Amino acid sequence: MRQNLRILGAAALTAALSASSAWSAESADPIKLTLHDWSGQLINTKIMGSILQEAGYNVEYVQADYIAQFAGLKTGDLHLAMEIWETTGREALDEATASGKVINAGDTGMTAIEEWWYPAYMKDRCPGLPDWQALKDCSEEFATAETSPYGRYVGGPVTWGGFDEERVEALELDFEVVHAGTDAALFAELESAYQRQDPIVLWVYAPHWAPSKYEGEFVEFPLYSPECYSDPSAGVNPDLAYDCGKPRGPIWKAAWAGLPDKWPGAYQIIQEYNLSNEEMSAMVGKADLEGVDIDTVVADWMSENKDLWSGWISH
Amino acid sequence: MKAHLTRQAPVAWGLVLATILLGWFGRDLAKALDARWLVKVPSSWDIPFNTYISAAMAWLMEEAAVGPVSFTDATRAIAWLIEQPYELALNLLARGFLFDPGPEPQVLLPAASWIAVTAAVIALGHYCRSWGLAALVGACFAYLAVFGQWDSAMITLASVLIAVPIGAGGGLLAGIWAYRHPLGERILSPILDLMQTIPIFAYLVPILFMFGFGPVSALVATIIYATPPMIRITIMALKAVDPEILDFGRMAGTTRRQLMWRVLVPSASQSLMVGVNQVIMLTLNMVIIASMIGAGGLGFDVLAALRRLDIGAGFEAGIAIVVLAIAVDRLSQAFAERMGQVHHTTPGSWAARNKRTVLVLCLLAVTWVLGRFSPLLLDYPQSQTITTGAFWNDTVKYLNVNYFDAFEAVKVFFLQWFLLPIKKTLLGIPWPWAIAMLTLLGWRAGGWKLAALCGAMSALIAVSGLWAKAMVTVYLCGASVILATLIGVPLGVLAALNRRAGIAINLLIDTLQTLPSFVYLIPVVMLFRVGDFTAMIAIVLYALAPAVRYAAHGVRSVSSELIEAGLVSGCTKWQLLRLVRLPMALPEILLGINQTIMLALSMLVITALVGTRDLGQEVYIALTKADTGRGLVAGLAIAFIAIIADRLINAGARGARIRFGLES
Amino acid sequence: MIHNTKLSCRNVWKLYGANAQEFLSSNPAPSGDDIRQAGIIGAVRDASIDIAEGEIFIIMGLSGSGKSTLVRCLSRLIEPTGGQVLFDGVDLLTASEQELIEIRRHKMGMVFQHFALLPHLTVLQNVMFPLTVQAAPKAEAEEKAREVVDLVGLKGREDYYPRELSGGQQQRVGIARSLVTEPDLWFLDEPFSALDPLIRREMQDEFMRLQARLHKTIVFITHDFEEAVRLADRIAIMKDGEIIQVATPEELVLNPATDYVAEFTRHIPRSKVLTVGGIMTPGTQAEGMPVPATARVSEVAEQIIAADAPRPVCDANGRTVGSIGRTAVARVLFGAGEAA
Repeated sequence: MRQNLRILGAAALTAALSASSAWSAESADPIKLTLHDWSGQLINTKIMGSILQEAGYNVEYVQADYIAQFAGLKTGDLHLAMEIWETTGREALDEATASGKVINAGDTGMTAIEEWWYPAYMKDRCPGLPDWQALKDCSEEFATAETSPYGRYVGGPVTWGGFDEERVEALELDFEVVHAGTDAALFAELESAYQRQDPIVLWVYAPHWAPSKYEGEFVEFPLYSPECYSDPSAGVNPDLAYDCGKPRGPIWKAAWAGLPDKWPGAYQIIQEYNLSNEEMSAMVGKADLEGVDIDTVVADWMSENKDLWSGWISH
Repeated sequence: MKAHLTRQAPVAWGLVLATILLGWFGRDLAKALDARWLVKVPSSWDIPFNTYISAAMAWLMEEAAVGPVSFTDATRAIAWLIEQPYELALNLLARGFLFDPGPEPQVLLPAASWIAVTAAVIALGHYCRSWGLAALVGACFAYLAVFGQWDSAMITLASVLIAVPIGAGGGLLAGIWAYRHPLGERILSPILDLMQTIPIFAYLVPILFMFGFGPVSALVATIIYATPPMIRITIMALKAVDPEILDFGRMAGTTRRQLMWRVLVPSASQSLMVGVNQVIMLTLNMVIIASMIGAGGLGFDVLAALRRLDIGAGFEAGIAIVVLAIAVDRLSQAFAERMGQVHHTTPGSWAARNKRTVLVLCLLAVTWVLGRFSPLLLDYPQSQTITTGAFWNDTVKYLNVNYFDAFEAVKVFFLQWFLLPIKKTLLGIPWPWAIAMLTLLGWRAGGWKLAALCGAMSALIAVSGLWAKAMVTVYLCGASVILATLIGVPLGVLAALNRRAGIAINLLIDTLQTLPSFVYLIPVVMLFRVGDFTAMIAIVLYALAPAVRYAAHGVRSVSSELIEAGLVSGCTKWQLLRLVRLPMALPEILLGINQTIMLALSMLVITALVGTRDLGQEVYIALTKADTGRGLVAGLAIAFIAIIADRLINAGARGARIRFGLES
Repeated sequence: MIHNTKLSCRNVWKLYGANAQEFLSSNPAPSGDDIRQAGIIGAVRDASIDIAEGEIFIIMGLSGSGKSTLVRCLSRLIEPTGGQVLFDGVDLLTASEQELIEIRRHKMGMVFQHFALLPHLTVLQNVMFPLTVQAAPKAEAEEKAREVVDLVGLKGREDYYPRELSGGQQQRVGIARSLVTEPDLWFLDEPFSALDPLIRREMQDEFMRLQARLHKTIVFITHDFEEAVRLADRIAIMKDGEIIQVATPEELVLNPATDYVAEFTRHIPRSKVLTVGGIMTPGTQAEGMPVPATARVSEVAEQIIAADAPRPVCDANGRTVGSIGRTAVARVLFGAGEAA
């Protein structure tokens, strides 16, 4: 493919010979993309990889931990991470870009949503939802033996941050925050409660398979604003900060700082690349709920969106 | 002596009581005295070990160099060396040999067919021992194919094939070195303690920097974790060689090298194989964590399945790890046995002497050639795989829907009457008092050296600012160890006294030890929710094994003369157990508890994944923030707790053995 | 009995404890009390012996007497704290590691109490082992090994593993292995102690048969006085690390140096120790078949008592040196109190 491109370029435009030599100057070393352990990221990364391959680059996928991968990105062992969530990875990303060895390659077009979430059946038991005020009146509905009389809210792993303890206090909710250690544990709680149709309110994020598998919705808190987090006087509670919902943020691409020099063409494609939340949710649903093989999902997308991605390549 | 003891008993009990009372009322006392520093180490006293360590690490990574060769160059060279055989194994077993790994790679030679690999292990089983073993390992590999785990299992097998020889061989060499140089053992011993007790997450980040991102780092981490038992067993085994054999070797005029490799090592081979077995088991224990940093394989399948809450798939991948562990372990045991014997060459051509090898090679070639026409010969057809995933999912669902209230009641009972009181007591004990008590205990059990060790290590934890988290750690581990002992020791005694029960219990224990704890962690979360109780169940399940094994071994090895003496004195079965067997087995049981504590501590990082708030969580947080210093300090604090517990219990066990005249 | 001295040790000390070396150099001849006060254990104290070529020299003592330590000092398996060990006039204690290896490879052999066979090797491979480590040609080594295996009566069991053999057979392997290099000096460290009494007796006979053919210089350790008396040319008796007496069995019985030695000899049937030469009437003549002077009384007692008249006694050359009669023999056989 790459060979073809070069011949084509050389034959058509002799004047563009410099362009063709720019192509050939790019390294034939494989670009290493990181894979994590959730389907959305796998799909996202493999689409990116497929597009790069179509553009004539060598690509290699490396299994890596979400946070530990920054060590590899810094040293140049890894080159591209496709999903760094504003909400969970910002700190690590900032730390890495500050070192000068990692660059932020722009957003993926997807937006991370994270918020308190409850199954639909809770609407009957706690009328008024999804408005957050309803939680004030029926916190006992959500109580368990350990947290009684307070309601139990299952937060994300401590490492995700999220300021839920502060939120509970600022909004005067009678809830106790219990942290799940991983998202596997988090959704195990949801699955368990959902099977029994027991009360639960917990941290859910999207794009993820859970909102499509389980019927339910996000709690509507007062809208996030930066002042709400930083300034106690802003928001519904004049004395405390964090009296609002969680911020939503883009999902970033992170790259090794040497990537733009080594594969300038590839870097352009990477920057162009974007997907929407809807597209991604549909694909994740296919993979996780219908059991379609991830490579098939990727191949389907590639054939359905040929125009889109060829546009990114030709720029 | 007697009078001495009776005078001391009230003092000891008094101190224990004082400690408990202080624990319950420590907070109130501190408040009343307005001395908050009693229960919480003032943060101004903290020594910022973590920044020191981070700075040292940064220097090591970025600046350390000998001449033009920097430290990272050296580690990268090592990584390259490890990578070569690994790539070969991986290509042969899983990936196939590729030509120019471009967009459409040319497959020079596909990976070995599942038929050929299964035939190879069957042949190996037959060569090493018997058709029985051949059938067992053949069944193990057939399981992997039929349950659709083949590809991942081969990736895992490739890393095991590299990690185990390096771990076992390196451990052997290090052990020999320590055996030869008396100083060597003194240097190695504390290093081994740390290697075994610092959770792997604590040093994952520096390893990634040193060895690059990918399977090699996973291999290095695995080797660090799996080698220490081999070193210890090597030293022990060489020392245990009959001194007459050593004398003989010297009298035969052997050089030092001949003496080691032709006399000592072969004579110690039986014990050395125990070490190899340990390396294999620990390597497979690491599969999950290794997959987080790029090893892939079955560990990744477990993780990914649990992320989609596919408990069944996770369970099947987990069982595949157990099956692989069994096959590799049994084969290696038999292989060593076979190598221990020297064989007579039967006459004939090479092919006639190596019928099995020829057969396997033929099969490999045939499947490669015919595989071009029929992929069935290369890959087990996906449509023919079986899965029991739905069954496991349904079982958990059934339990959850129908018995959740019962589980909840059990949980609440344990929390209220067992876990929370311990937690409150431990967190309430003023830290100066705790350090003083540990020092005193060390002095009583092992003299001033042990006292200094206990005092210094607990003080270091205090000034590193991790006291409260350390106490939560002690509480979680302590409660789990108590429970594991209460369950494990009776099981061990039963296994020793009843052969049939023994077989069943052994199987259970083997499975629990190799089955990645992640597999049962998530179902347990579903039934018991996140929290300390869930963490405790996971720890107990994992740490049960040594309590059972050592108790069984201790009871079994009570000398038959003593049993006969008991019988002749008219003991009932129960009296025999209570008055003869258990007291004599006590030193072994204590060592088992010691190992249980070690395993419980090594589980902490995993339980952090269900939301505990202890040192394990601290290590995990440090990992996610790529904070080397913070992770290592928390890791060292765990190691210190482990070392204090280990030394105290060992001193106690030695005391018991001396009293029984089993040791002087 | 006048031969060249093969092995001798001079004032050999082996002390265990902190600073034993300095202790000995500051006080070259410490008394038992000195040693005890310094907190040192004296495993071998001032041992001096000479062992002649072709002699069976037995070191006898109870457990803890230091006999095993002494024999290990003689072979330098243990580094003595002080003294000299001369083997063919060469001081072993100053030999380099390389020299020592050469000496052990070609001139010394040793048999161990618990056989010390390598469990992973067959009988033949065990026996070949000392040749293997010398890198001797394989065919030659195997041939030699087969020879000695045959010599100790294990032909046909070459391919057995040690665990498949009885204790007596295992020790035969140990003996064969120690002989395969054709050593001049043969150490046997309680070789028969781990065997049953019947087998032990059989092995002692076997040992005598071998020695009659091979004429090695032998240092033999035992705690069994009967065995010592049966096999020894000379016996050294050790107690608490000291050699109390070195003498022929006969002298020991007749003139024990201390009460301790006498205690051992008391229960030994004297007829089995005393030789005809020792109790004959020297210089007298008699009629009939001559009795050899070296024969033990027990061996010839029956025929002398059965004979009517005294019998002549001859030496090794067949020369008559005296005579022996019924009364002398009867006194040995029944006169228990005589030695006291």
